Amino acid sequence: MNGCEDKIASIELWLDGELSGAESESLRVHMAACAGCSEARRRLEKLQSTLTGVLLSEAQRVDFMPFWRAVQLRVNEKRPWYQDALDWMRGVLPASRLAWVVPAVIVLLLAGVSLESYWRGGAGRNAFATVESIDAYGRNVALLREYDTKTTVIWLYQDQEGENEAAEESAPSGPAF
Amino acid sequence: MELTDRELVQQCQAGEMSAFQELVSRYHQKVYMVIFGLLRNREDALEVAQETFFRAYRKISGFQGGSSFYTWIYRIAVNLAIDAQRRQKRNPLDFRESMDGLLESQGEAARDPFADFHDKELREKLTIAINDLTPEHKAVIVLRTIEGLSYKDIGEILGCSEGTVMSRLHYARKKLQDKLRAFL
Amino acid sequence: MKLLKKAPLRVLLFSLLSMLAVAVTGTAQKQPQNVEVRIRAILASNQSDEFDASLKGLEKQLRVLKYRSYRLLNDESQNIPRNGNKVFEIPGGRSLMVAPQEFQDNRIALLVRLTGGQKPLLDTTVRIANKGNFILGGPPHEGGVLVLSISAAMQ
Repeated sequence: MNGCEDKIASIELWLDGELSGAESESLRVHMAACAGCSEARRRLEKLQSTLTGVLLSEAQRVDFMPFWRAVQLRVNEKRPWYQDALDWMRGVLPASRLAWVVPAVIVLLLAGVSLESYWRGGAGRNAFATVESIDAYGRNVALLREYDTKTTVIWLYQDQEGENEAAEESAPSGPAF
Repeated sequence: MELTDRELVQQCQAGEMSAFQELVSRYHQKVYMVIFGLLRNREDALEVAQETFFRAYRKISGFQGGSSFYTWIYRIAVNLAIDAQRRQKRNPLDFRESMDGLLESQGEAARDPFADFHDKELREKLTIAINDLTPEHKAVIVLRTIEGLSYKDIGEILGCSEGTVMSRLHYARKKLQDKLRAFL
Repeated sequence: MKLLKKAPLRVLLFSLLSMLAVAVTGTAQKQPQNVEVRIRAILASNQSDEFDASLKGLEKQLRVLKYRSYRLLNDESQNIPRNGNKVFEIPGGRSLMVAPQEFQDNRIALLVRLTGGQKPLLDTTVRIANKGNFILGGPPHEGGVLVLSISAAMQ
């Protein structure tokens, strides 16, 4: 038998009908002459036939009409929409993949939240500057928020009595907003 | 003259329910065999087999004929069975009880009581040994019991190469023989 | 190695990913030590229709003020440590003191004092987004008005 270890795979192929005619014949002749290979063939055939016997005898107990009626019932039954969605999801995301999806989604959400709070562009949700306190020392001051450009403007009006030492010429009274 | 599977599929796609019924009639036992081989539980296997044909009915309009009908239906069956296997929450004791009942009922038809006893033990041990295989190895060994399925067909069903089918079969058979040496 | 084999791989990798996420979040929330403050002093007027090309990035904001011309007078940046302050010289004999106060949720609170000569003209505390800005304007200058763009970025 030891010298025929390499023949086991061929015997399996022969048993499964995967060998060519010439290869089959050659192996058959060898098995007739080799006790070890003959025994290997016998065990494989027994294994296969036992399993086939178990499954076949079980399958033969399934009568067609009751089976067909059950299939018809499913075909005619109105399924809730979420059942189809669940079935689709189970196909696309079997449990093994889903086990990765859940932590991956959590990590992505965390990363998104941290990045979103870390990076501030002009179009960010909190892009407006917030004026928390203001003291114009008695002068008129205006606050403007322009939404398109997310601009906060603090406008200090020129002091009428000329207290503003930096006043040189009369300037326009203020922006046109 | 008996219609081919392809012709029956075309009739199904045209809305002929009787054509679908004929297809179910041709394949329901073989499909059940495969599913039962994977799940080892009668009720679950019946449920999944019915679901297989239901899904096939729903998808038949999209069936292009790129593969044969039988590899297509077995593919649906194997995928559903593997999903069901993952959801199966039966403990080993429940499994053993359902298999004991199955084997007892099969033993009723035997003629030789001594051969029956030995064979029954082999069948029981074989069933347990197969259940210890990984789903991939279990699938190839069960599909190989279906008459007429080549390595190419099995590869198409499982989405792997013929070489992979061959090596998985070899591995599975070696494992089973190692466990069942005393009974073979 | 035995421990690795025993612990479910998914649990281990999920823990690693979670720690990485926490590290990222932690980094983002870390208090910066310095703030780079940039002050651009701009002359806004109706004397012409010119728009200084160097102010391209501020054009949309400046157009809000509805003046016809804008010219950059001065552009100065300084790194200011937390709880420190710096004074910027502003055209027209003015000065602007800026003091970063606190950082929270990626926003910087700035205490700003505009002074004309020795007199305080305006004190304000403004909270701006990191790398954001606000406009302070109004003091007259050279036939127009002085407009200051005050921006800050965490370092």
